[in-house]
Amino acid sequence: MSRPVLTLLRKELLDVLRDRRTLLVTLVLPVLLYPGLLALVGAVMATGQQRLARAELVVAVASDDAMAFVSALEPPEHTTWVRLGLDEGLVQLREKKVAAVVDAAPGAFAAIKAGQQGRVQVRYTKKQDRSAEAQRRLQKLFERVGHAALVDRLAASQLPPEFSEPVIFESTDVDFRRDLGPLVASRTLPMILLVMLFMGALYPAVDLTAGEKERGTLETLLVAPVSALDVMTAKYLTVALTATFATLANLAAMGVTFAFGIKVAGAESISMTFSPLQVFTLVVCLVPAAFMAAGLSLAVASLARTFKEGQAMMTPVMLIATLPGIVAVMPGVELNVFTAAIPLLNLGLLVKATVLGAAAPVPVAMVVASVALGSYLSLKMAANAFHSEALRFGGADSWRELFRRRR
Amino acid sequence: MSAPPIQLEGLVKDFAGVRAVDGVCLTVSPGEVVGLLGPNGAGKTTALRMLAGLITPTSGRALLSGVDVAAQPLVARRSLGFLTASTGLYERLTPRELLRIFGELMGLTAEVLAARIDTLANELELTPFLDRRCGTLSSGQRQRASIARAVVADPAAYVLDEPTAMLDPLASSAILELVQGAKARQKAVLFSTHRMEEAEFLCSRLLFLRAGRVVAEGSPAELLERSQQRSLTGAFLHFARGAA
Repeated sequence: MSRPVLTLLRKELLDVLRDRRTLLVTLVLPVLLYPGLLALVGAVMATGQQRLARAELVVAVASDDAMAFVSALEPPEHTTWVRLGLDEGLVQLREKKVAAVVDAAPGAFAAIKAGQQGRVQVRYTKKQDRSAEAQRRLQKLFERVGHAALVDRLAASQLPPEFSEPVIFESTDVDFRRDLGPLVASRTLPMILLVMLFMGALYPAVDLTAGEKERGTLETLLVAPVSALDVMTAKYLTVALTATFATLANLAAMGVTFAFGIKVAGAESISMTFSPLQVFTLVVCLVPAAFMAAGLSLAVASLARTFKEGQAMMTPVMLIATLPGIVAVMPGVELNVFTAAIPLLNLGLLVKATVLGAAAPVPVAMVVASVALGSYLSLKMAANAFHSEALRFGGADSWRELFRRRR
Repeated sequence: MSAPPIQLEGLVKDFAGVRAVDGVCLTVSPGEVVGLLGPNGAGKTTALRMLAGLITPTSGRALLSGVDVAAQPLVARRSLGFLTASTGLYERLTPRELLRIFGELMGLTAEVLAARIDTLANELELTPFLDRRCGTLSSGQRQRASIARAVVADPAAYVLDEPTAMLDPLASSAILELVQGAKARQKAVLFSTHRMEEAEFLCSRLLFLRAGRVVAEGSPAELLERSQQRSLTGAFLHFARGAA
């Protein structure tokens, strides 16, 4: 690397790393906000479930037979019964004074005792979390009532308890701990990484091109005895380094978040341990992809005259980056020799396949080649942007300059 | 005999079929201050940008110390100090960082650069804010930092494109002092301005551009006589309205 490029790179890095907006969007946001948000959502959900499980619920009992049923066993924890008519019970359910209404036809309880069948009906609403919780508690209660009646009948007939259950069906997910992490990661990481890759590139790219045009510093820089190519190279490296760091930081932060988020939710811990080969594969693809995103972002941002204009131009770029990520996480869409040839989608699918441990060498090599080609082409576009007088001082009307062939 | 610091030879620039600069010829010798006058769109900025190598001439040549700017831009720009109305300062860098970076780009060694920064800090009174970020400086301080950036390598040619256009009289005084100092140090100065009093005060020679062409050239006194006006503003209006 030549001395002017090193000097310019030092200048660009100083400039970018002192920009609070860039730091926020490219570094703080991915590292703290997304993992923090996921952990927060997990914590809120867990707290909500625990609070609901401890909620004191009042259930209306609409008939004597229903009362006989609910009195047959110990009531569920934090649940009390109140005797109301059916109509009044429904009114109070609507007014959220009771969580559910339980009713049974006359003679239903006696029918059970006589070895016949009795029907019980619970009225609730899914729109209220407390009502849905009451329904769950009542369902468990009546399963216990039914089971107790069955045990009594089998005993009266001198039959063993196994009589009612000739087949015991058991299914065990033996790889639960090992597979759930990669599965969840394969559903989320492709999109998040693609978005973060471009987000890490777009903001500094706009700042270092359109922003410099607007502030008048680009002209100052281009008057110095350095070539436009050197100026562009330094900007390209700066944006690519920022994008790489944002992506890798995001990857690491998301890895930590998966484990932390699941633990907060009180469920089994999800492990997502990458093998060295998986890490190597991701880095080998994501780093050149960051350079591709840098070149593309610089080329597009150079069409803008002002920072605001540059931000507006980045919206379609973000959309283009996000859509392949969404497609990549869809079930059934996999990395193969065909999808490996589709730009950006191949990157998302490679992340997915790598996380699941299903990345085959040939498609991976195709993705690496495709990303390398994309990086080269985007670098050419960015170089064109800095060679073009029209783009150095003009704007979007000169977009054809990006594709001009130069010797 | 050494080449003049600034020289324009039949400079032409076309933009999409429109001729912005049409055969401008000019030489600025050491110790000479030449003013470029003309209404908006006359081609002043385009001519100066060609001289700085920011845009390439359609035909003709711009030379700095005898080096063709289009053919050898990096060599030519080593003898150029370029300043515009927008100070072109990096808000998040300090003046010291800015001087180091531009000094390095101009090819100065670390020792020479350190000495040069000390000299400029004293001459332009930068010391109190040398390590403060440019974004926090007053307009006068910014202008002085910008001047220091432009002249950090002590170039032979100063090109100033409407340097006082957005400045109050106090901040403008730094520019006027820069030009007077440069003249005393035998630098060649070419600057464009809309402020006639500045042009009259500083320039030994004036060029009047209209529609890309030089329509009048001479000392302020000669232009007043030719236009038969009492003030340079009157002469400006005279030439801008089409009289030659």
